[in-house]
Amino acid sequence: MPVKRKPTKKGRKPSPGPAGNSMIPFQQVQALIDLLEERGLEEFELERAGLRIRIKRRGSGLAAPVFDSYLPAANPERAPAAESAEAAAAEEMALTAEGVHIVKSPIVGTFYAAPQPDAPPFVKLGDAVEVGQVLCIIEAMKLMNEIEADVAGEIVRVYVENAQPVEYGENLFAIRPGKKK
Amino acid sequence: MFNKILIANRGEIALRVINACKELGVKTVAVYSEADRHTLPVRFADQAVCIGPPRAAESYLNVPRLISAAEITGADAIHPGYGFLSENANFAEVCETSGITFIGPSPDIIRLMGEKDRARREMTAAGLPVLPGSEGVLRTPEEARAVAARIGYPVMIKAAAGGGGRGMRIAPNEAELAGLLQAAQHESQQAFGNADVYLEKYIARPRHIEFQVLGDKHGQVTHLGERDCSVQRRHQKLIEESPSPAVSEQVRQEMGAKVVAAMQALGYNNAGTIEFLLDEEGNFYFIEMNTRIQVEHPVTELVTGLDLVKKQILLAAGVKLDTLVRPNLRLRGHAIECRIVAEDPETFKPSAGRIATFHLPGGTGVRVDTAVYAEAVIPPYYDSLIAKLITQGKDRREALARMGRALEMFVIEGIHTSIPIHRQILADPDFLAGRYDTRFVERFLPAAAGLRNAVPA
Repeated sequence: MPVKRKPTKKGRKPSPGPAGNSMIPFQQVQALIDLLEERGLEEFELERAGLRIRIKRRGSGLAAPVFDSYLPAANPERAPAAESAEAAAAEEMALTAEGVHIVKSPIVGTFYAAPQPDAPPFVKLGDAVEVGQVLCIIEAMKLMNEIEADVAGEIVRVYVENAQPVEYGENLFAIRPGKKK
Repeated sequence: MFNKILIANRGEIALRVINACKELGVKTVAVYSEADRHTLPVRFADQAVCIGPPRAAESYLNVPRLISAAEITGADAIHPGYGFLSENANFAEVCETSGITFIGPSPDIIRLMGEKDRARREMTAAGLPVLPGSEGVLRTPEEARAVAARIGYPVMIKAAAGGGGRGMRIAPNEAELAGLLQAAQHESQQAFGNADVYLEKYIARPRHIEFQVLGDKHGQVTHLGERDCSVQRRHQKLIEESPSPAVSEQVRQEMGAKVVAAMQALGYNNAGTIEFLLDEEGNFYFIEMNTRIQVEHPVTELVTGLDLVKKQILLAAGVKLDTLVRPNLRLRGHAIECRIVAEDPETFKPSAGRIATFHLPGGTGVRVDTAVYAEAVIPPYYDSLIAKLITQGKDRREALARMGRALEMFVIEGIHTSIPIHRQILADPDFLAGRYDTRFVERFLPAAAGLRNAVPA
């Protein structure tokens, strides 16, 4: 469970997607399956022009998930968080299906969007970034760790706010690879 | 008193610490690796932070990540549990410099007890008898021969950085000494990156007796009696009980007085355990000290009526011992613990996987400390302990009867567990009569016949 998860941005615009493309690369399907297992989701469905993907876990049909989510319903105080986490996971899967790359936090710490409190952020929504470009700083034990883009493309999501604590593996940014259109 | 405690551990001990915190009204932070996302500590702690991938080196053993998790959650103390970083002096030091209280003794004491030969010297000076042996590390075969001739064969060669039976050999005579010394040094180098070994007297039928101590930050120390942990396989304890069937009241008094004096001399604070070998004549020898809560602490809790984890927290917060434990506390009744591990009972191979059926025994005098449940997945990355079954009774007989029926009613399906071995031991006439030593388990296990070179001390 995240430390203090802010609700992820809602109202995602339907992105156009590659026009007339009814094929998606095998690796992306595999990534979807991995994500399904990682998040312990039972079922996932994505539909867009000319393409419909439905992945469902059936007993041991798929490769057995290494870790399960068989706990009884989460404790009531946590329920909203769990729901928003599920919605976030579904959104992440949809983005991944489009080939969008998610930058996750490699460490535990505090997220800083800018090099100085009064400086503009390293990147913002819609920016084009290059491989190796600094996206943010995560402070852990008073050490400032610069997090760099590992793909070039457009920032299509910023998941965390300035000075927010982040845990290992938490989503930071989504980058749509390729030149900004 | 603390506001929020981060638990730098997983599994049953993480849950055990959460229990104590809830009862004390202290908030809790669970940390977890990606393999432990769906575990009970994560569910029952007030907050939970994912600190890394399954590999312990990148999660539960990663000091910066743990400290960072404490900082972002505002935890003012860390309970290390057992294993992982619980006896890591560096971690305790980093906690201190980060303004977080480490729930355990001071880094200096942890470091001292971590270096086995230095610990032996200090404890000798503090009045605890140690096994006759070499003064510190052995350099040459000639040196080893001289020491062995002085203390008499058979002798035991042990790794200075050792544990778990690695880097350990028994030399029955002078002819075999040099070869075994070299083998132990080589194995120690491989296992611990340090070839230092020492030599000590070998006892034929030793019992593993350990004393639980508590100390505060104001110089007070007390002991809470002993536990007999002689039922072990390759230094992994299987059954522990208190009081020991082999310790007379006179020996208990003598050992207890020496333990308290030594710990006072050392300025020990928080919970700790001093391990001894006890021979058949009632002579006892200091082996080592564990500067943390032990797996088998519930046995002591049931005969003293004290919650040791709560005491640890209160002692770390600076509370005085005499307000927590009344003087001249007497042990009441008898308690036994079986460590249920996820291992194949014949091959002892870890048995990871999903638990199907899970039924806990209950009723009067039965306690189970566990963090697993039906449908839980036992990951392959960590310790195989899945549950501790503890029974108490007005005497040993009643505690044993309860253990027998509780083992019968403990059902875990889907993975292998050690329950069949425990049932076998509980049916053994020698065990029931209290006649056992650290080599007891070998008789049950034909496989153990091939382990002669790693015979428990």
